[in-house]
This record gives sequence, C-alpha cells and structure tokens, in this order.
Amino acid sequence: MNRRKPKNRMKAPPPAKPATRVERRPRAGLGAWREQHLYSFFSSLGRLAARPWATLLTLLVMALALALPLLLYLGLNNARQLHGDIRDAGAISVFLKPHLDAAAVSALAQRVRAHPDVATVVVRTPEQGLEEFRNQSGFSDALNVLRDNPLPAVLLVTPRAGLGRAADLAAEFGREAQVDLVQYDAAWRQRLEAILAAATRAAQVLAALLALAVLLVIGNTVRLDILGRGEEIEIMQLLGASAGFVRRPFLYAGLWYGAFSAALALFVVALVEWALAAPLQQLVASYDHRFSIQGLAVLPALAAFATGALLGWLGAWIATWRHLARAPR
Amino acid sequence: MIRFDNVSKRYASGQEALHELSFELAQGEMAFVTGHSGAGKSTLLRLIALLDRPTRGRVHVDGQDLAQTRRRAVPHLRRRLGMVFQDHRLLMDRSIYDNVALPLIIAGVAREEVGKRVRASLDKVGLLGREGDPPVALSTGEQQRVGIARAIVTKPPVLIADEPTGNLDPQLSAEIMALFGEFQQVGTTVLIASHDLALIKRMNQRVLVLDHGRLIDDFRPRGVS
Repeated sequence: MNRRKPKNRMKAPPPAKPATRVERRPRAGLGAWREQHLYSFFSSLGRLAARPWATLLTLLVMALALALPLLLYLGLNNARQLHGDIRDAGAISVFLKPHLDAAAVSALAQRVRAHPDVATVVVRTPEQGLEEFRNQSGFSDALNVLRDNPLPAVLLVTPRAGLGRAADLAAEFGREAQVDLVQYDAAWRQRLEAILAAATRAAQVLAALLALAVLLVIGNTVRLDILGRGEEIEIMQLLGASAGFVRRPFLYAGLWYGAFSAALALFVVALVEWALAAPLQQLVASYDHRFSIQGLAVLPALAAFATGALLGWLGAWIATWRHLARAPR
Repeated sequence: MIRFDNVSKRYASGQEALHELSFELAQGEMAFVTGHSGAGKSTLLRLIALLDRPTRGRVHVDGQDLAQTRRRAVPHLRRRLGMVFQDHRLLMDRSIYDNVALPLIIAGVAREEVGKRVRASLDKVGLLGREGDPPVALSTGEQQRVGIARAIVTKPPVLIADEPTGNLDPQLSAEIMALFGEFQQVGTTVLIASHDLALIKRMNQRVLVLDHGRLIDDFRPRGVS
C-alpha cells in the first residue's frame, strides 16, 4: 500500500502478517490532510482565544504599525490629486496696471490672443475678481468695508499645449507697458512635485520598516509560544507527529495574528477617516469643491488585509523554522 | 517483530549503555526487560522508538531496518508503535478525550472515526465516561491508564512501556500489567521495562535480564500458567 505513495518514505511492509494484526491504516492523502488542517485551524484559533488580553495587545500593536503606512498612503493620494488640480490650472496670470479702462484691457487681450504660442485668454475684470474673492475666501465682510475695488484686471493666459518655454512667454508679457505683474509658478510646481516624490519615498521606506516590525512582533510572539509548548511538542513527536504537523498550528497562529491585526488596522483607518471628515470637508469647500477627499478604496483595503495575513504567516514561518528545525531526534 | 542483532550503544559521554545485544521477539509475544537501574533498559526501548540510534548493530521493528529509516520517516515508524511512559506524559491542559485522540489526529484519521476509537480505547482501560475530565482530576493509576489508552488507540502492532508501574502501588500495578496481558492476547507484541521482579514473576512471561548493558539471561517460562 505504501508503494503507491512516493511521499511516504516508509519501506514496503513485510510479507503478509498473520491475521491477528489489528492495526488499521490511517487514511492517507487528501482526507487526512484536510482533517489535520482543520485541527490546526481551530486549535490555533482556540489558543489565541484562550489568552484574550495578551492576544488583543499584540493585535493592537501590530494594527497601529499597519495603519500608519495606510494613512500615509491616503494622505499622499489626496495630496497628489491636489497637485494634479494645480497642474491643470497651469495658466499664466497677467496682472494689468490698476485703473486701466475696459477698452484698453480688451485691446490688450486681443493682442495676446493673437500670439502664436497662446491657446486661450480669459479676461477677468476687477468686478469679477472681487466677486470671486468674496465667495471663496470668507473675507466678504472685510471686503464690504472697502470703497474702491483695489483689484486689477487679470488676463488668464493658457499657453499652447506642449509649449516648453512657457516661462519665456511669461517674460515676454512682463515687458508690456500695461502689465504690472506676471505670475507663472513653474518653480513652485516643480518644488511641490519634488516634495510629493520625497514624501512618497519616505512613506515607502516607513512602510517597509513597519512591515519588518510586524514581522518581528509576530515572529517573537510565535517563538514564545513555541518555547512555552516545548513539552507538548515533544509529546507530539513521540506520538509520531511529523515536522509539518507540529509546525502547522503555529503557522496558522501567525496567519491569524496577521489577518486580525490587518482587519483592526483597517478599522483604525476608518476611524481616522471619520474623525477627519468634517474639517476636511470644509477644506474642500474652500477650494470650491475642485477636488474631493478620497477614502481607502476596496482594492487597496483588500491588498492591505492580504499583506497583513502574509506578514503574519511569514513571521510565524521564520520562528518555526528557527525553533523547530532543531527538533529533537 | 522486534529483532536486535549485536546492538551496542555508546553515548557521547563514553558510557556504554548496551553491549552486543541480540534477541528476537515474535509477533504477539510479551516480554519484560529487567535489571538494575542503569542496566540499559530505557536505552533498549529508546532504540526501538528511534529516540536514539545504535552505535553498532541493527534493530528491526515490524520488518523494518531502523538503520535505513530516514529522519523524515521516523514519525511514520512511531505511529506504528504504542508507547507508555512512567510519568505517562499526558497533556495536562487538555481533556482526557483530547489526549487519547491525539495519535489519531496526528495520523489523520477522520473525525467521526476518532470519537468511536477513543471511546473504545477508554472503555478497554475502564475509563469510559471520563472523557471530558482533565487528567488532573484522575488518580495516578487512572492517569497511567489514560496513557495506555492513548498508546493503543491506533491499534499498533507493537507496544512498549518504560516502567509503566513505577509510580503505582502493588494493587494498581497488577491491574496495569493485566491490561498489558490482554493486549498481548489479541496479537500485540508487548515489551515492558520494569524492575518490579515480584510482579514480573507473577506475569509468567519471557524475561530479558540486563546487567551493565549485557544480556545475561533470557528466561522463558515453562507451560505453567
């Protein structure tokens, strides 16, 4: 019977025994495998539940370690959206000299529009500017005090798409006699881009470090568990437990630790989202709702959960490999 | 069923525990190993269970040459061996049922079958109805019987016991020995290490006498029962 199973290294049984031999062969193959996994699955869960406070504390530590990179990821995601919003508005703002009359403004606008490198020109009159300012900034009361409109007319110039030398164009407008100031924030945008890139990298490094911390916490928890169950492990080996059978409950325990702490981390993220929702909504409103705050989507949440479970399993695997490899005999 | 061919065992400390030991135990035979403490009784049993390997010579169990048993195959060998220990080695934080079921779970026996066999095994040692109790709720003799139930639950062809009555009073010891006698009657090969000479004499079975690792007597009873 063993000859058919290459996995079973036992030698072929000796020639037929007298009928008195009462041993019944255990079921081999899939049934036994399933049976043993079910056993490990539930017994490892039972062990965690047997020490609820210790388990909860471990889970909380790991949940916080997992939640931190998730929150960073969310923050960066939203910052990037804001950044995109600014890049889309990559216009050159041409502030004209104050008290220029409407005819002069429109004549200048005509001239600028005719420039070959210019795609569109939007004229914003001082009145429009004041109105917009009043709506957006919350300064409406203060603005009511003003007698005169202090705002100049502004030409919002969008350079032709793909124009590399928008800065030159801005300089050209600056030389116009009726132009007071040209604002073109290329440098600022580049700086923002660099800041976001650096922050993203920092978040990645931090995530890697925290993942390592989770790995170590789980590894150490499982290690202590193994040391505390030395006698039980020895008895199991005496009763013919294979290395895999001994190792399996610990691997499952690691999986549980990882999965539960990831679930808890997602809960922490949801809690933070909820706590920040109101002030962030106000911030969005102040930007005229040009962007919205993005919460954690389903797919990244699932990925975070899977990562947590994997980290747990891996941590346990390392611990069992270190401490069960030297199993007696 | 168990065969020793010129087996010697020298520990790393230099102490020679067994010296040129040869004997054979047939299927369904029951035998005692006796001798003063340190004579090599435990070492002999340890070699059978592959808890140790001999320095020289060969050990065969159930037709299998243990020298050729690879490390990975050791668990499979142990599953065909029932082992009873002096200190019974039960898991104190598990119920009696869980303790007796453990070898079956290790072997991957189906759950519905496990319950049946655990109860049959406990019935045989007279502890049916105590499945849910923790081992500490039992007396020493009863704990030892749980250890025996665990050893026989897989119906192994070979049963070995190291001083199974070492902690018991004469009355309980006799009961335990009688239990081993029953297993022999259904065809199990039984090998028991013990220094309780009076008890061994009463059992009227084959006796291997060890002295400083040498087999100095292989006493077989004549047909007296």
